[in-house]
Order: sequence, then structure tokens, then C-alpha cells
Amino acid sequence: MKSIFKKKEMGILSIVILISILITLKNSVFLTPGNLLDILKNNTVPGIVALGMLLVIITGGIDVSVGAMVAAVTVIVGTFMVNFGGNLLLAFLVGCLSGIILGVINGFFIARMKIPAIVVTLGTMSIFNGTILYFTNGSWITNIPEWFINFGRIRLIGIPIQVFFWLGAALLTFFILKYTRIGRGIYAIGGNPEAATRAGFKKDKLIIFIWAYLGFLVGLAAVVHTSIVRQVDPNAFLGFELTVIAAVVLGGANIMGGEGSVFGTFLGVIMLAVINNGLILAWIPTFWQQIIVGVIILIAVSIDVIQNKRRERAMAKIDVEE
Amino acid sequence: MERLIEIKKLTKIYPGVRALDDVSFTINKGEVHALVGENGAGKSTLIKILAGVITPDEGEILIDDKVESFSHPLEALQKGIAVTFQDLSLFPNLSVAENISISRKIEEGDMVLDWSEMKRIARKAIDELGVKLDINKKLGYLSIGNQQLVAIARALVHDAKLLILDEPTASLAKEDINALFRVVNLLKKRGMSILFVSHKLDEIFEISDRISVLRDGKYIGTYPKEEITEDELISYMVGRKVRYTRYDKRKRQEPLLEVKNLSKKNNFKDISFTLNRGEILGITGLVGAGRTEVAQAIFGNNVPDSGEIYLEGKRINNDSTSKALKTGIAYVPESRQTQGLVLGKSLADNITVTILDRITNGLNLLDKRLKTGIVREWIDKLNIKPAYPDMQIDQFSGGNQQKAVIAKWLAYNPKVLIVDEPTQGIDIGAKSEIHKLLRDLAEEGMGIIVISSELPEVLAICDRILVMRRGRIAGEFTGDDVTQEELLNKAITKAG
Ligand SMILES: Nc1ncnc2c1ncn2[C@@H]1O[C@H](COP(=O)(O)OP(=O)(O)OP(=O)(O)O)[C@@H](O)[C@H]1O
Ligand SMILES: [Mg+2]
Repeated sequence: MKSIFKKKEMGILSIVILISILITLKNSVFLTPGNLLDILKNNTVPGIVALGMLLVIITGGIDVSVGAMVAAVTVIVGTFMVNFGGNLLLAFLVGCLSGIILGVINGFFIARMKIPAIVVTLGTMSIFNGTILYFTNGSWITNIPEWFINFGRIRLIGIPIQVFFWLGAALLTFFILKYTRIGRGIYAIGGNPEAATRAGFKKDKLIIFIWAYLGFLVGLAAVVHTSIVRQVDPNAFLGFELTVIAAVVLGGANIMGGEGSVFGTFLGVIMLAVINNGLILAWIPTFWQQIIVGVIILIAVSIDVIQNKRRERAMAKIDVEE
Repeated sequence: MERLIEIKKLTKIYPGVRALDDVSFTINKGEVHALVGENGAGKSTLIKILAGVITPDEGEILIDDKVESFSHPLEALQKGIAVTFQDLSLFPNLSVAENISISRKIEEGDMVLDWSEMKRIARKAIDELGVKLDINKKLGYLSIGNQQLVAIARALVHDAKLLILDEPTASLAKEDINALFRVVNLLKKRGMSILFVSHKLDEIFEISDRISVLRDGKYIGTYPKEEITEDELISYMVGRKVRYTRYDKRKRQEPLLEVKNLSKKNNFKDISFTLNRGEILGITGLVGAGRTEVAQAIFGNNVPDSGEIYLEGKRINNDSTSKALKTGIAYVPESRQTQGLVLGKSLADNITVTILDRITNGLNLLDKRLKTGIVREWIDKLNIKPAYPDMQIDQFSGGNQQKAVIAKWLAYNPKVLIVDEPTQGIDIGAKSEIHKLLRDLAEEGMGIIVISSELPEVLAICDRILVMRRGRIAGEFTGDDVTQEELLNKAITKAG
């Protein structure tokens, strides 16, 4: 299992490197530390949410409500800070808690009511978006407190603080997936849900945990996002879910469930980011970006399907009598 | 003998069937207790209740004279009941090691996992079974037989009081069955009880101490092995006498499928034979002799390095299964439960997936009446139970699911039909019906290749028999006086 994931990730990594070389040939600004750090910082938000999406996709689910959720949490946290002040810890607490609540709502309908994730999250996406509109009328929150803006400017050893949140979330997710019973249960459910129950996993609880965890990461991402842009735009996350899902799939996760890794997902986010950034640096119109990303997704998934077919065909080795 | 489990008046009702109807019996400590009955008799249902997978409608289970009821499989595990399920219930996306050890870790309540310990547990179980398996390999890449070994190993790692094996030997090679029986006897000596399900009566008589019989969900009785004959057991199971008919060998002369010098590296070498129209050709040999690989080559699923295949005198070059089907060659795979079914769909849909073009009318719409007619016919011919065309395929018993896969390919009515282990997991009554059906189809002109490890079966229905050993054809047998020993000798010893 390990070596196959490794192989897959190496494939993605080489594509990322290839694209980077092409871009650098066109515009040498790309490979400067400043630009690379900017890429990292600006993709922290999809990067963190993609980790939660990864868990959901491994179980065979999908969440199209993450855009609406992030938007909702930014509004909640922004409103909270503007009206009650508070401090950094409180901001994160409020963000993560509200994220968890939204996630658990999704999880409840999926685990307990047995409604397919895509249906549930389509519904909640609409509900979340409508509710945001009701409260904000689409207007921005711009008077974010000074202490929070200052926090967003912090750099540690020259690296923007936001990147560390991504790193932390990635390490935590990696640990959960690889070394905890819950993590292995996530893969088990993705591989064979009925067998997961028979092996002793409590499937419903696990699924609710996963959606709560995604909610937690959404909350974290929302606060980090606010620290980057220093304002709240309730419409900033239209289409965000597609970027996140695309990153996870590009990162080698199987949309049918059962497969996917943290490192792969990280590379998926980076690949999208590099294409995005590179095309801008190369002065290529943005519609090309969308077309190219689409083509790459199709190619990546086709290669995967073909490889799986090949492997299936590979017969047992027989020691033929000579 | 001290009793371990007491099953009391268990009843489980599904819409339209009483899967279990007031069943009571006991399992003693340190005994191997066989559970037998026809396909759909209720064996797996009983096992699922013991395992906490489903709950009974009535009745109770006592363990060590205490009433226990399980609301989750984990509770059954913790009470010392470990199960190898008929459908294996493994994770194709995880490694062998994890498949074996994960449920033990859950049982122990570990939140954080120690991978090196998990591997140690897995390796120990594999060693105990005495088989060779790479525990780091992803399970999905293993042959169905090896997957079955993994499922058995997983049940072994739970230091259980009761080990339940639901048709554990269905896809196992003879030497692996022997290895399993060695372990079972060892565990029995240590005082463990084993509940064992199989349709192979020779196994039942070899391994068990007592035998309980179910028929149509009802308990018929429990018999010490020494006090019952095979014929009696069969009549308890099916309610009538079943004869294992040995059909006459027929001579067919009109070549239908010709295979010439087929070779593939690490698979098979110099395979040449002819299948005549209206003939049943048996291919036997040990598991892993290359029989399935040759069949897959003819079916376009395993492209050979060299050699030629002719169908009705015309050279064919099948490099995909869809091409093979178009030329009129169909293959019923060995691992039917995983490969052959569209889960979630009805029995009728599953039987007719191969013949959709034949049951649609001029407007390309489904002809309901035609479909129902065909489905009825096959349910009848194969005695699929219960005879509900619209019931979801998942809800049929394992053996009846297998019948559905066979029906699907028979309905396709190919020129050449290759069946891999056609009666694996199928009860004795249904087995002889399938034999008769294959004979009838051949009589109508179909050429049939039967791949089977079950020598009595090969001898009963085949007109000619090829024996494969280590990737080569080791011998060919015709005539009515071939014996099992002759076949077995060819399969094992070096060609003289
Ligand atoms: N989920 C379900 N829904 C409806 N009917 C079911 C379900 N599960 C089992 N049954 C029915 O219960 C009966 C007993 O099935 P069971 O699987 O216990 O048979 P079995 O003795 O194990 O047979 P086999 O030898 O074929 O494995 C069958 O008629 C089957 O169709
Ligand atoms: Mg069964």
C-alpha cells in the first residue's frame, strides 16, 4: 500500500516540478523565495480545508458546502471581533467551534439519516449561503481590530504565520490518518463499509467525527483567511469547494473512497497554486487556467484508472515447468 | 462435555422468508461443530446473529449459561466470538497486515496504533496457518484463495472462545485446506470451539465432531459424526435422496475452439487443445497450475506472448473481454461474489445484464414481459431461492448469488462457455441440477470448458479431461474408466 501511494505521489511531484520549470523559463520571478512564500501563504486556506475534504473523500463522501461554511465562519468571527473585541485565542475558539457545529450538522444527516453526502451538503450549502445573505445583505466587514491585523503580519523565521497553521493541520491530519484507530477506520469505511462495522468500527460515530473534523479545519481556515485579507467578504468563497475537491483528487485520492494521503493532497493544492501563479506570471489569460486545470484533472484520473485496470489484469505468477 | 453456547429458539424473518425458524442447539467447549444445509437454509443468518451483525426477531443466545445480546459486532468480538464471513468482509484497499490485525486492535481498545506490533500479529497468524503471504501487499491484489486465507488469519488473532468459519474452504487449494485443518485441530485441543460451514461433505466428515442440519430455516437435528452416514446427512439436508450422476462420455468430432501452442511467461507454456462442438472439456489440476490463466487468455483478459486461437476455424485475437464476448466466448469467473454481481440491483437485473439487447424492442425500450419470462426460466432451471425476481441480489444467500452469476452467463448463450469452479459454494442438490444443465447445453451444441478442482465433478460431467500442472498440460484422459487417482497423480507427479 505504502509503495503505491509513494509512486502516485512521486508522479504528482514530478508534474509539479515540470510545470515549475516551464514557468521559470518564461518568467524567472517565479522561483524567487518571495514568490514561493506568497504561493504558500495564499493557499493556506484551500490547503487546510483540503485536508478535511481528504478525510471525507477517503470515506467515499464529498462536501460541496465547504465554501459556504468558510464564508459563514468568516462572517461569524468577523462580527464577533468587531462587536465584542476579545483576543486571538477567543477568535480561534469561536471560529473552530462554529465550524465544528456546521460540520456536525452535515455529519448528522449523513451518518444518522443515511442521506448521501452530496445531497446533504448541496442542501446545507444553500441554507448556509441563504443565512449569510440574510444577516449580511452581502456587505463587507472592514473594521477588523488592529490586534488581529497585527497577528496576520507575523513572520517566524521569515515565513508568514499562516503557513504554520497549514503545516500544523497537515501534521495533525497525517497523524490521525496513519496512527489512530479513527484514521484507519476512515480508510476501512472507504474500502468496505459493511466490513468496517464487522471488524468492530463504530461507523456512525466515525462519520460524525470526520465531518466535525472537517468543520474544525474549516473554522481554522476561516480565521486564517481573515488574518490574510483583513476583511470579510461574504461572497469570497463562491466556487471554493470546487478548487478544494479538485486539489484532493489531483493529489491522488480516489473519489470512490478508500485511497488518499496528506502528502498527495498537499501536492494537489500546490499544483493548482503553481499553475495559477505561473499563468499569471506568464501573462496568460485566466480562462486558460481553468481549462488547463480541467485537462490536468482528467488526465490524472484517467492515468489512475488505466493503471488500476492493468494491475487488476496482472495474473498470479506461476512457476512454469521447463 | 461442557457447553459453551446455547442457541435458544432463534427466529429471523425477512420479507417473504423465515431465514431462521425457532432454531435451538448447543455448541460444546472444544468441539468442531459443523453446520450444514442447502443454499438459503439459514446458516449465514445464524452466524450473523452470533457475530452481532444482525439481531434476531425472537430467541436468545447463552454464552457460558449467561444470556447475551449484541447490538454491535464489537460486542460479540469482546465476548470471544470471532468470525470468518462467507463474503470475507475484508478491505481491498488496505494491506494484508492491517486486514488481519485491525479488528484485534479495536477489540483491545487501542486509540493509537503501533504498526510494528500490528505487523507482528499478522505475521504470527500467517505463520500459524503455515502459508506464504506477503503481509505488506495490498489485499486487493491477492487471489481470491489468498484473500480467504487472510480472512481466516484475521479470525485467528482474536483469542476467541468460539471461532466461526463460514465456508472458509470455498476457494482454497488442497494444501491450504490441510493447513487450515491442522490449525483447527490445534485450536480444538486448546479448548476452543469451532463452528464450521461447508458444502463439501468430505471436509465435514474429516474435521467435525458433531453436525447440525438446517433446512429452510428450521433445525433438523444434531448428529455425532460417527453415528451418521453421508447419504443420511444429505437426505436430512435436502429432504430427499440425491444421486451424483456420472454421465456417459460422448465422442464429438467437430472442432469449435482450437488452441495452438499458447504460451505466456510466468503463466503457462505450450498449451494446445481442441474443444469440439457439443462437448464438455474438463480442465483440472491443483490450484495455481495455470488453469484460470489459460481461461483468461482465451477470454481476452490475459494476452498471451505467443500462440494462436481459432474459433470455428477462424483465427481470433481477443485482447479484451468485450471482443471475446462478441466472438461468442463467455467466462464465468471463480470469484463470483466479488466480480460477478451488480450489488444493489435486483436478481432479475443481474440475470439479464448480459442480454439487454435481446430483451429490448424496436424502440430500444425494455420488453418487460420478455424479461420476466427469461428470468423466471432461469430461476426455475437453477432453483434459485427464494424465487423473487425483484429482490435485491445482496439479500440472497451466498450460494444463490452464485447461481445468479451462472444464470447470467448461461442466458447469454455463448458458443463457448468457460466456467471456473462452477459449483463452488453450491449445495449438493443444486449441484446436480447445474451438472444436468451443462450437459443439456452441450447437447444443444455449446462447447463448454469446466475448470474444477473437484475431481468427482470433473469425472461426472466431462467428456474429456485435461490435467494441468505447473503451467503445462500434463495429460489428457478420455473414456469412462478414468479414476480420481489417475487424475490426481498426473496433477502432482512429474510427467513420465
Ligand atoms: N438482508 C436480507 N434480506 C432479505 N432476505 C435475506 C437477507 N439476508 C438473507 N436473506 C434470506 O435468508 C435466507 C437464508 O440465507 P442465508 O444466507 O442464511 O443462507 P445460507 O444457509 O448461508 O446459504 P448459502 O449456503 O447459500 O450460503 C435466504 O432465503 C436469504 O435470501
Ligand atoms: Mg451462507
